[in-house]
Amino acid sequence: MIKRLFDWLKQPLGLVAVGIVFLAVFSAAVYGIALTQKAPDQPIQFPHNKHVGFGIQCLYCHPGASKGPNAGLPSQAKCWACHNQIARTQTSELLAPLKNAVESGTPIQWVPVAQVPDFVQFNHRAHIAAGKNCEDCHGDMTKVTVAENPQVFNMGFCLDCHVKTAGEDKVLLNKLADCGTCHY
Amino acid sequence: MATVSDLNISEVKLSEEYVGKWGMFINQDVCTGCQACVAACSMENNIPFVGDEDSGYGRTMNWIRIERFWEGEYPEVKMTQNQPMMCQQCGHAPCEPVCPAFATVHSQTQQLNLQVYNRCVGTRYCANGCPYQVRSFNWRDYKRPEPLPNQFNPDVTVRRRGVMEKCTFCIQRIHQAEDKARSEGREVADGEFTTACAQVCPADAITFGRVDNPESLVSQLTKEYQGVRHLEELGTLPNISYFKGA
Ligand code: HEC
Ligand code: HEC
Ligand code: HEC
Ligand code: HEC
Ligand code: HEC
Repeated sequence: MIKRLFDWLKQPLGLVAVGIVFLAVFSAAVYGIALTQKAPDQPIQFPHNKHVGFGIQCLYCHPGASKGPNAGLPSQAKCWACHNQIARTQTSELLAPLKNAVESGTPIQWVPVAQVPDFVQFNHRAHIAAGKNCEDCHGDMTKVTVAENPQVFNMGFCLDCHVKTAGEDKVLLNKLADCGTCHY
Repeated sequence: MATVSDLNISEVKLSEEYVGKWGMFINQDVCTGCQACVAACSMENNIPFVGDEDSGYGRTMNWIRIERFWEGEYPEVKMTQNQPMMCQQCGHAPCEPVCPAFATVHSQTQQLNLQVYNRCVGTRYCANGCPYQVRSFNWRDYKRPEPLPNQFNPDVTVRRRGVMEKCTFCIQRIHQAEDKARSEGREVADGEFTTACAQVCPADAITFGRVDNPESLVSQLTKEYQGVRHLEELGTLPNISYFKGA
């Protein structure tokens, strides 16, 4: 039975069939991988490039980054403080969800982009205090429209910089490479 | 101060040369065995409730437990002091070298025994190696019916099935306090923060702090009461000292 199947696959028509199946599986895999690399759909296509281009500081909208573990996302009240006074807010398609959210008082459900797994404890404050820039980890936000990750936050990414930061300082290296610094 | 890595391990017999970082003093005379510490620990550290069936198989999950002892023959039994027992954060821990995955390792910075949950593959060698029997294993993904998930502590990993876990001396609170102190440009003050069990204890039987600082409350109590360390003769260099008077 199996032998007959192999014989059939070896003739030209069989080879074409094998090729088609292979191509189908391959393109499905590529499509699947491409999906994971794409920024997720957001309720509002918030353009970072425009807002950062106006000279708004990252910390104005993500103030937690200098104070604690989480950077935080701005509430709609913060958007409204400006957009309330901008004529375009009333007409723009893109801003309709913001207007709805403010009028109905329901929070905007942003989809998380920059994330580490539950078993990793990250802390923004230590990094900002040590003089690291947002770009070091989040890429150049003046170029992106909707937030996306320039790289995955895997352990090598964190440790590369930690080992480089510590340099010859054995005590600091012990601390920054200690499993208990990030996993607990 | 000498840490284990500076000493020749084979020569370390007594705890005199070793000074850890974080430690506890437990006064068994005032412990009433109320179990508040056990409850507080479960809340702080996202420890699941295993239910009565698994408890029957000895699969209870606690990071701290109250051990009860008695003296004499029935019916003339006399209860002796309760003994809160948790990970002793040994300076020379028997659990560490037996782990084939290097999931339980010693933190040189904090002088604590770490358990890296995501690294753990669940061989349970460490639990067998622990002379204090303070490690617990996640035999299942235990159910947490609504609204229990709402009280998760976000600073502590929620462990999965097949992972070993144990007392961490509330390392999340240590990190929080150290981070806060650093943002204000100072050292962590003694008594600024404490572990969940020590915080909740109504009798103040548990004191937590820096054992490498002779001025700290825990060092002073240990000295004044001549605290003893459990199973010291095994050379584990535990960081918790106990006092039992009467
Ligand atoms: C400092 C003031 C300010 C704040 C705060 C602000 N914006 Fe804007 N936003 C602007 C300006 C100015 C424009 C450009 C308007 C134009 O092109 O006429 C703009 C443009 C936009 C656009 C593009 C509109 C279009 O049609 O192209 C969107 C979407 C938007 N903002 C969303 C938000 C959201 C969501 C927030 C809150 C997180 C927010 N903005 C906070 C000033 C602000
Ligand atoms: C006007 C307010 C505003 C400013 C200024 C701003 N952001 Fe944002 N940021 C947002 C909003 C709103 C979102 C959520 C929408 C999204 O993810 O695209 C967001 C999302 C992000 C995210 C993804 C977070 C996640 O996981 O959901 C990162 C990273 C980020 N911002 C970094 C920056 C950096 C770096 C800067 C400075 C160069 C900056 N932002 C400036 C409003 C702002
Ligand atoms: C050392 C690398 C690093 C630097 C520097 C950094 N971030 Fe992040 N950021 C991360 C990581 C990792 C996460 C994911 C955190 C998590 O899942 O808990 C994150 C998450 C975020 C988020 C979304 C989730 C949250 O924490 O609320 C925002 C917004 C953000 N960062 C903004 C910023 C801004 C603004 C700056 C600069 C002031 C900055 N980050 C600097 C690594 C960094
Ligand atoms: C661009 C370099 C860089 C990257 C990337 C980086 N870190 Fe850091 N990290 C630092 C520096 C610098 C410090 C502060 C060192 C000091 O204490 O002076 C630090 C400190 C920390 C601390 C705090 C230690 C304390 O003081 O308690 C944690 C936690 C941490 N990093 C986690 C992470 C994680 C998780 C990642 C990966 C998502 C990461 N870091 C990626 C540079 C980096
Ligand atoms: C600077 C922070 C940092 C330190 C220090 C660190 N890790 Fe990690 N680790 C991470 C991050 C971030 C991830 C998440 C990687 C991902 O999302 O793929 C991770 C992932 C892991 C994983 C993979 C888990 C999985 O299921 O994918 C293991 C295992 C691990 N770490 C073990 C360790 C051990 C053991 C140590 C100590 C020697 C350690 N880590 C020290 C940041 C750190």
